[in-house]
Amino acid sequence: MAAQPKEIAGQRPSYLAEGGLVGWLTTIDHKRVAVLYGLSSLFFLFVGGFEALLVRTQLAVPNNHLLSADTYNQMFTMHGTTMIFMVIMPLEIGFFANFLIPLMIGARDVAFPRINALSFWVFIFGALFMNAGWLWHALPDAGWFGYANLTERYYSPGMNIDLWDIGLLILGVSTLLSGLNFFVTIVNMRCPGMTFMRMPMFMWAMLVTTVLILLAFPALTVGLIFLFLDRFIGTHFYVAALGATPILWQHLFWIFGHPEVYIMALPAFGIISEILPVFSRKPLFGYAGMAYALVLIAFLSYGVWGHHMFSTGMGPVADATFSITSMLIAVPTGIKIFSWIATVWGGKLRMTTAMYFALAFILEFTIGGLSGVMHASPPIDLQQTDSYFIVAHFHYVLFGGMMFAILGAFFYWWPKITGRLLDEKLGRWQFWLTVIGFNGTFFPMHFLGVLGMPRRIYTYPAGMGWTFWNSFETACAYLLGVAFLIFLVNLVRSLRSEQAVGDDPWDARTLEWSVGSPPPAHNFDDIVTVRGRDAFWLMKYGSHDAPGHDSSAGARASAAHAEAGHAHVHLPAPSWYPLLFAAGLLVMGVGAMTWLRVVFLGAGLLLVSIVGMGFEYATYGQETEESRATFFRGVDSRKMGMWAFLGSECVFFACLISTYMVYKARNLGGPDAAVLDIPLTSFSTFVLLTSSLLMVLALAAIQRGDRKWSAIWLFGTAGFGLVFLGGQVYEFSKLYLVEHLAMQDNLFGQTFYTLVGTHGTHVAIGVVWLFVMAFAALKGKLQQSRSLAVEIAGLYWHFVDIVWIVIFTLVYLMRSIKEA
Amino acid sequence: MNRRFGARWLLWCALLLFSGATEAAARSYPMDTMAPRSDLAELIQSVYVQVTLWDLLVLVVVIVALFLAIFWFSTRFGEPGEEPVQFHSHMGLEVAWTAGPILILVLITVPTVRAVFNTQPYHWPKEALTVRVIAHQWWWEFRYPSLGAQTANEVHIPADRMIHFELESADVIHSFWMPALGGKRDVVPGQINQITLVAKVPGEYYGQCAEFCGASHANMRFRVFVDTAEGFQRWVADQLKPPVMPASGLASEGARIYQNAPCAICHRVKGISGFSKQYEGGFRGPDLTHFAGRSTLAAGVLDNTPDNLATWIQDPQTVKPGALMPRLGLKGHELTALVAYLESLK
Amino acid sequence: MNPHEGAQALEHEHPQAPVYLAVAVVLTVLTVLEIAVFYAPFLQPVLVPLLIVLALAKFVLVAMFYMHLHYDAGVFTSLFGFPLLLALLIGASLLMLFAYLAAHLSPVIPYL
Repeated sequence: MAAQPKEIAGQRPSYLAEGGLVGWLTTIDHKRVAVLYGLSSLFFLFVGGFEALLVRTQLAVPNNHLLSADTYNQMFTMHGTTMIFMVIMPLEIGFFANFLIPLMIGARDVAFPRINALSFWVFIFGALFMNAGWLWHALPDAGWFGYANLTERYYSPGMNIDLWDIGLLILGVSTLLSGLNFFVTIVNMRCPGMTFMRMPMFMWAMLVTTVLILLAFPALTVGLIFLFLDRFIGTHFYVAALGATPILWQHLFWIFGHPEVYIMALPAFGIISEILPVFSRKPLFGYAGMAYALVLIAFLSYGVWGHHMFSTGMGPVADATFSITSMLIAVPTGIKIFSWIATVWGGKLRMTTAMYFALAFILEFTIGGLSGVMHASPPIDLQQTDSYFIVAHFHYVLFGGMMFAILGAFFYWWPKITGRLLDEKLGRWQFWLTVIGFNGTFFPMHFLGVLGMPRRIYTYPAGMGWTFWNSFETACAYLLGVAFLIFLVNLVRSLRSEQAVGDDPWDARTLEWSVGSPPPAHNFDDIVTVRGRDAFWLMKYGSHDAPGHDSSAGARASAAHAEAGHAHVHLPAPSWYPLLFAAGLLVMGVGAMTWLRVVFLGAGLLLVSIVGMGFEYATYGQETEESRATFFRGVDSRKMGMWAFLGSECVFFACLISTYMVYKARNLGGPDAAVLDIPLTSFSTFVLLTSSLLMVLALAAIQRGDRKWSAIWLFGTAGFGLVFLGGQVYEFSKLYLVEHLAMQDNLFGQTFYTLVGTHGTHVAIGVVWLFVMAFAALKGKLQQSRSLAVEIAGLYWHFVDIVWIVIFTLVYLMRSIKEA
Repeated sequence: MNRRFGARWLLWCALLLFSGATEAAARSYPMDTMAPRSDLAELIQSVYVQVTLWDLLVLVVVIVALFLAIFWFSTRFGEPGEEPVQFHSHMGLEVAWTAGPILILVLITVPTVRAVFNTQPYHWPKEALTVRVIAHQWWWEFRYPSLGAQTANEVHIPADRMIHFELESADVIHSFWMPALGGKRDVVPGQINQITLVAKVPGEYYGQCAEFCGASHANMRFRVFVDTAEGFQRWVADQLKPPVMPASGLASEGARIYQNAPCAICHRVKGISGFSKQYEGGFRGPDLTHFAGRSTLAAGVLDNTPDNLATWIQDPQTVKPGALMPRLGLKGHELTALVAYLESLK
Repeated sequence: MNPHEGAQALEHEHPQAPVYLAVAVVLTVLTVLEIAVFYAPFLQPVLVPLLIVLALAKFVLVAMFYMHLHYDAGVFTSLFGFPLLLALLIGASLLMLFAYLAAHLSPVIPYL
């Protein structure tokens, strides 16, 4: 595990060249991690497809009892959860984006290669954890949206929902870290000349997607934590007792859930924006408009979550507001669709399979988008929601949109990833079968919705007028299954074929095609300097007006590229810690469902791997000083990562704090905020403020090279943190023992303990961090050049401090304000 | 070759459409959302149609543009020719396809917002009839607080009178949906949601729970009977009558079995069994006082016939997986007698 | 090219101890004010706005000086500011949505 940087010079072996199980288990190369993602998501694609076929088979005829109600409910729940969290997101983000981001922006790897590997291992363990339900016939069974209070222990006593809740929490960690990682990579690691407005549109899409991930997942995490507490501790966050309401879950879930739709949609938009120009031999139309449309969609997506809840009775004002914001999203989406058509218009279309899928995407996605406009109107939504019309709508978006884009991306980038082409003839078969199967399966669902067939029913009686279309859809679904089998055959055949493909088989426009197929481990021999949009096209042809088909120009460009001589490239060494970290998280999840002591074992693994990775990373940071010189955009990636994380934490705490305020007002009995001890917490506040002062003094000391005082101030900060924690322990014990306020007792108790306890946990993590740092300083390992480590820890510490400023004011000082 | 394949495909499609059309002609669509029978459903439909038409217009524009682009510009492939002009933006076009959708959205938003405020009134006239809907896993309880009547799984309402549904849940979230009479509303524990409507055409309408609510979500159906004013009066009067205690025969034997078996723990037959003081919020199982007057049993899952009733009592879990009603182990004569009694409760 | 050149262009020198101490004094004074406001009976009617202003001031001071947003590259301010704005919007919307729920669909105690 010692970090020995590898030196690569001279030849350019492909990133796949070095094999070995250990190599794959410890890899931190973004391309290999991407391949791991790709393989696992393909596996889950077929699992999810199998579940879908079971669902369709059950519905083929009325009064079918092939599957029991229970099994059917598990199948549709897992179909949705699998396709969203284990297929579409990991294929788009984990596979394609992971592989392509560094190649498209001219970087050697992502900003945090270890965290990238870690994301994958956490993802695969989380996915397997949730799918463990297969073994006990106890898969999650409350729908992918898991509406409370059906998910409460009383109504779902089995382990089904536990697997779902904990599995999603684990998957959330993976996604959040990927988001953070790719965000920093795109902002910070672009090669010289690659300004934002010169990035490939896929990079824009991923940039916006990662922001969405960072700011949407915290809401889901909060919702899942509440559910966890309800199921394991016996609190009542979503039980309609004690004044709580299950509607809270719906709000938290959809604050996450609607941006989630765009987390899946925007990468697909990006993929299409890459494929269309290449096969039209024209630049993307309306680049600036396309980029701004992405940003606008992302921004609007946070203000529309209520359109999933029109039928819950939010009141006319909220209904109207959410309706208008939802409809507004149609405007930027329209801009995108028309710009794609304009991209194709006047081009010279090469009708490859990738192009077929991309063109079909435009039409299918438009249908999905337009039916979306329909239920953005609440009156219509009241007829359509929870009927098959909605099923038709989101399959047109998710399958007709996202899956078509993903399939197109496979045909387009597969040669780059594997060095082999996919067979066009099989591809054409697959395309037509997919189009027919897809439209045949999902278009009639519009009719079924209009005819009033509700979603998520495991059986239906005859005589409702639903029989014909259901049988028809099932037949088409099998056609779709055949299409995917052809796809599988195509993938396997291509991997077994000997015929290698050139670096640039499509005469493409973006940087990833300027390197080998498959690319070398270090991506680029020399760091490229970019002069405009469509960087590789410019390299080949010198201008945007391509001078006819001059293939030698391309050859010349890459030859010049190769001759420029190779700098010695240091690549970070492989590491076991990512795998260890993920294992720790998995053990914690298992422990939550079995024995508490196992949780501590998992937490121990987690701690060891984090600290281990931290020290590995420090070495890495020094080794790549040289590459940082090229990539540096004025700020350090780690610092930017910390700030992005803190932004994400803002949303996390906003959800916790608003829950506290809402539930405090609904508290029905027992102790309330009046029992809070102001003198004690005032003292704690001063303690935490002082610790922040010590923290900046430590930073100032290390920055001027004063190691002794830096160590002293660090110990001081951590010590004051301990005093704060002591105060909190005293406060909680007093509330519990003197006021007899347990977490389960009333709404005030559960939200207060959760909010302040979560903050306390943050403080505790900070204290551990600071002590590690202080000991490092004491041992002389924290030199002036590493002051950044102190600065980052400081950012975290001050953030914890400002959260406390907010909590102190809203929770303590406003304790008597009922509607605060 | 290609053309023959296309022709066969067309023929196949035509056949399918034909059989679909036959089905449409031969059958009724009891859950059709496009056959409004109330003021609420009509209002919804008017917005529905407007938006659909705008959608279709946009769809046609996209389809035409896309297919023109594909057919005009892909044929050039293979021909030696000049590179396409590398144009990448056009201000006029971009402004047009931003402004166009905005205009359409404004046209959609106005009727939408109007309908939103019209369908969710804060106040309703005093003469409105209040019906309390209490959703249970997996059946519906209906109460008429002003009339003192109550029933289950089949609700009767008078036509041409404002009805105010108050929706409550006894357990998890359900959704109350009568497609012909209006949109759905979720039934959320801990809050009371409302639907206000005037049914216009007397008749029998189907309804179903629309929010996933557990194992037997699919088996949570109900019927709405829109009666004429007189018909409704008659029905209410019938409902308020105590049931006739069968004097002799199989049915009276059945009544004894009913009282001694666990049935009465959850089900009430007014004046004969059940709790003297009714629960504040409803019963665990449907009220059976006028059970024989209903056309379906087990929340719209089976037709109300003696055979079906026997099946249901013998094995509720097969008919409705997860149902709270246990298997009672009644057999042979006992079962027949119980069925006879229940079917006598007109 | 010196790797730190770009850094210096965008990241100005961080302040030294005297600035930090001054900020600490102001923070302490603000906190004392907060507690004073809380205990002053005659300020109760304006308690909420006063406390919010004081907390905001503390928040901004820590972010600007201890977290160096005042000195560092603007990208950090937007990295933090945008999520903060969004968090505020989400929080405010949730409070309004639940206020409606409480006012019009008053909580019912379920019976089973």
